[in-house]
Amino acid sequence: MTGIEVPDVDYTAYSNRQLVLVPLAVLALALVVIGGWYVVTGAPATPGLEFTGGVELRVVDDGEDVRGQIETAFDRQPDAIQSIPADDVYVVTFRATDGDPEDLAGQLDDQAAAANLETTGIDQVSPNFAADTVRTAIFGLALAFLGMSVLVFALFRTVVPSVAVVASAFSDLLIPVAVMNLLGIEMTLGIVAALLMIIGYSVDSDILLNNSVLRRTGGFYESVSRAMRTGVTMTVTSMAAMIVMAIVAALFGIDLLRDIGVILAVGLCADLMNTYLLNVALLRWYKFEGVSR
Amino acid sequence: MLEPIKKNWRVLLLVAVVLGSSVALFAPQFAPETAAGTTADATQGATNLQYGLDLAGGTRVRAPLLGYTATDVAFDGTRPTQVASDVAAELPNVSTRDVNAVVEDSTTGSPTGAVDVTDPTVDEAQFRAAMDASGYAYESIRSGVTDETRGVAEEIIRGKINEAGLSGGSVQQVQSITGEYFLLVEVPGEGREDVIELLEERGTVQIAIAYPDPDAPDGTAVEEDVLIQDDFENIGTASQRERGSGAYVPVSVVNEAPAGEQSPAERFQSAAVDRGVAGTAGGATCNYDMSADALAENSDPCLLLMVNGEVVNAFGMVDDLAVSMARGSWAESGNFRLTTTNFSDAQTISINLRAGALPAELDIGGQGTSSTISASQGENFRFYSAITGILAVFAVAGMVFVRYREPRVALPMILTALAEVYALLGFAALVGYPLELAVIAGFIAVVGTGVDDLVIIADEVMSEGEVNSRTVFDSRFRRAFWVIGAAAATTIVAMSPLMVLSLGDLSGFAIFTILGVLVGVLITRPAYGDILRRLLTIR
Repeated sequence: MTGIEVPDVDYTAYSNRQLVLVPLAVLALALVVIGGWYVVTGAPATPGLEFTGGVELRVVDDGEDVRGQIETAFDRQPDAIQSIPADDVYVVTFRATDGDPEDLAGQLDDQAAAANLETTGIDQVSPNFAADTVRTAIFGLALAFLGMSVLVFALFRTVVPSVAVVASAFSDLLIPVAVMNLLGIEMTLGIVAALLMIIGYSVDSDILLNNSVLRRTGGFYESVSRAMRTGVTMTVTSMAAMIVMAIVAALFGIDLLRDIGVILAVGLCADLMNTYLLNVALLRWYKFEGVSR
Repeated sequence: MLEPIKKNWRVLLLVAVVLGSSVALFAPQFAPETAAGTTADATQGATNLQYGLDLAGGTRVRAPLLGYTATDVAFDGTRPTQVASDVAAELPNVSTRDVNAVVEDSTTGSPTGAVDVTDPTVDEAQFRAAMDASGYAYESIRSGVTDETRGVAEEIIRGKINEAGLSGGSVQQVQSITGEYFLLVEVPGEGREDVIELLEERGTVQIAIAYPDPDAPDGTAVEEDVLIQDDFENIGTASQRERGSGAYVPVSVVNEAPAGEQSPAERFQSAAVDRGVAGTAGGATCNYDMSADALAENSDPCLLLMVNGEVVNAFGMVDDLAVSMARGSWAESGNFRLTTTNFSDAQTISINLRAGALPAELDIGGQGTSSTISASQGENFRFYSAITGILAVFAVAGMVFVRYREPRVALPMILTALAEVYALLGFAALVGYPLELAVIAGFIAVVGTGVDDLVIIADEVMSEGEVNSRTVFDSRFRRAFWVIGAAAATTIVAMSPLMVLSLGDLSGFAIFTILGVLVGVLITRPAYGDILRRLLTIR
């Protein structure tokens, strides 16, 4: 009766070490990318406007070489000009620099008006405020991760399975950040929201797996394949929603929804790997070797 | 009769919630109030839903108030006003009005309090030096203003927004994790320039008198603060002058004072007479050079109308008024016209006088953020985000159908997930929470988690062979529910920091994701279980 059969993986063919190797290698790679980013740029990811400060204008594209006009309209060079054809606008970004005038946004708006460019939106973030946002975001992420970890330990009351869940959630968080860097996506508030969502989303399939193995009768492999059938459906369904959301929102230039969609899709993809390789291996070790010690 | 209700209460509860949401969404009784001063946003469609700034257009400003505060100042029994003027005396060119002292802890024998300076030209070192020189002991100096000043500023901004006729605007205080306070001002449907202009100016209005002074380099001396904001009452609306160009704001000057003190009207009257603006022979004829900011040669003394420290108009006095001032009879009524050269100045003055002057400056450019979305862009975003949401739901539905290939399982699943979003929309309409892009993202996330959990229920219930009795179903359903509850709890824990932290408008995302999870666990998912049981056990 099922249309797509979730593939049955023959776990017995692989040792725990082999299973763990792939997710750990990917995690290590992610750490190298993020660490490298930190060494080279001074930040673990490229911060967006909300984290650096600056001004972003949305300029109407009336079809008359607006890009050319934008390049000459302002007394400073825009840091980015992004076209959003579905909405007929250009998003023009100016990063904050030292010695910016107090009312940079007002001046840029006036310059746009002087060049006959119609603006439909202006976002201005001062560097001081942005620095504050960075601290708040890191604090929020840390708090959410800590809360999730405590809750997972409270739910399972055994160390190894809990560590397995927390470890794969940690990896689920880092892999999207690394992918983001490689794809050239900037860190925005939408991405912070998406990372928090990953903390909540990604543990679902881990909890399902742990519950199936630890709290239900039946053999280990039977429990895993049962949890996998459900878990993979869940994750793939959510991924479908997020990929569609990312694509549509990107076309329409709704950055917030695009960022959330992209990051969640990558995070869920990472979660598939971490849950069914890392988590399964840790659970198998716990079930067959850890308990008897 | 009762038995079927008891048996199907979960489904009935879902039906009730959906009906309730429909009422909240469409019944005219729940339509948002549009009177000025409410937080309701102006734009509305066929439903009772309200849209936030990024979906309706408008301007949002988040900025701290500029100033420095000395904390735990020992007042040693001195009155706060005296403390304020003592500190102000140590700061050159700072008016007493820009220094405030408040008692914060009067429980101990010697009350302590806080002193803030809100003149933007004073830096931390200068304030520290002034505090040291004034001789009051204090604990430390921090940036920002006192709670009281912030509260006054919030009220005045609210007043300014209302006086300027910007309906639906809202003002609130938010705190960052570093403990700094910000004022968050949202004005739907207004452009950046108008809002910033309204907020950035402190809006001080005063009358000064300029008189000839041979010792001054430009031959002009100015007596400031002859009349200040608080001296005016019964402020009228800005009006065009009947004859000639220009406009005016009718006001009266307060003509009452505690016994033994001069009333502001009397003070003004005697100042006008002393400086020669008014005399028994008639009023002064003013000839003021606005570009040089000084009296023209051989001009009589002038009254200066100053807004935010700048002269917006200079005028003399008509003979009738001057004579009544000289006789001392004007102060009994205190009626007066603040004349300006153009109507928009008069409007600004009227707004500023009615709402009052901001006790401190909002630092939008230096430490704040502002965001403006035009109405047309907001409308586009509304349309686009609806399409995005619908397509995301289609993607989920498609996956579920492909996976189960059985409409009996898949169809109720999609409908249940949609009911969840519908219930949330109803809730948003009921409490008047404005929909924003972040909230729409929350809805999509809710569909995602919702379907996840329904998949868990469906798989669990249908595993291990046929479902042929109610008991088998119930035990499997309960097992599935443990996982769902645990997953819901982790989502709530993960999202709750976002709900309280001030991170853009992402609290809407967190609030609706958490609400969605709660609605799901408590109402829609149990109902889906019941529906599935009926479909699977009755064959």
